Amino acid sequence: MSESIQPDVTVDSRGATCPGPLMDLIGKVKKLEPGTVVELLTTDSSSSHDVPEWVDKAGHETLDVVEHEDEGYWSVFIETTK
Amino acid sequence: MTGYAIVLESARLERLQAVGNIAAIAAASEVPVDIFATMGGLEAFDKERIASMDYEMGEVGQAMMQAEGMEMAMFYENIAQAKELGPLSVYACELSMDMLGKTLDDYHEVFDDVLGVSGFLSHAEDKQVIFV
Repeated sequence: MSESIQPDVTVDSRGATCPGPLMDLIGKVKKLEPGTVVELLTTDSSSSHDVPEWVDKAGHETLDVVEHEDEGYWSVFIETTK
Repeated sequence: MTGYAIVLESARLERLQAVGNIAAIAAASEVPVDIFATMGGLEAFDKERIASMDYEMGEVGQAMMQAEGMEMAMFYENIAQAKELGPLSVYACELSMDMLGKTLDDYHEVFDDVLGVSGFLSHAEDKQVIFV
């Protein structure tokens, strides 16, 4: 699925520890229009689980979480709904 | 219950980081948070203390300090960032400041105001109180 996802916005939080990636994502999402697809890049394994938790609770949609094992990071794709 | 009122007394790094992280994400998620920094928790925000990174810490804190290739935001940085994203207020304990003869200028700029106990309790009356 992720190969077909073309993000409108990319948030690169690689290197930041929890909760940095989520803070970066929230800061960005608050400024975006509904229907925007965002790709969050994170090297923090806990964020790869925790970010989708927040996304769902906040009422947005998690589209996919892809691990780039060789490069040591994850892509979390979300779509804003409000 | 409409949010959290955190009484931060500890100057231990792990507790400070935990409070900073949880308060930041809650506030960024539009959950109101008040932090009342008192006693040791207030002194953790002293500018000289921050500059010297003189904090009591255990294993996790030491690992955090020694981690390489990671950008780890400190508790005051997460709090400062969260204040721009949601309803997070930070108050300094008046008694603690009076005892040490300090003013807000001696502390990191995250603070909104100085409060006594009654003032804090007014802020906390509709919130879940957490003591750290």
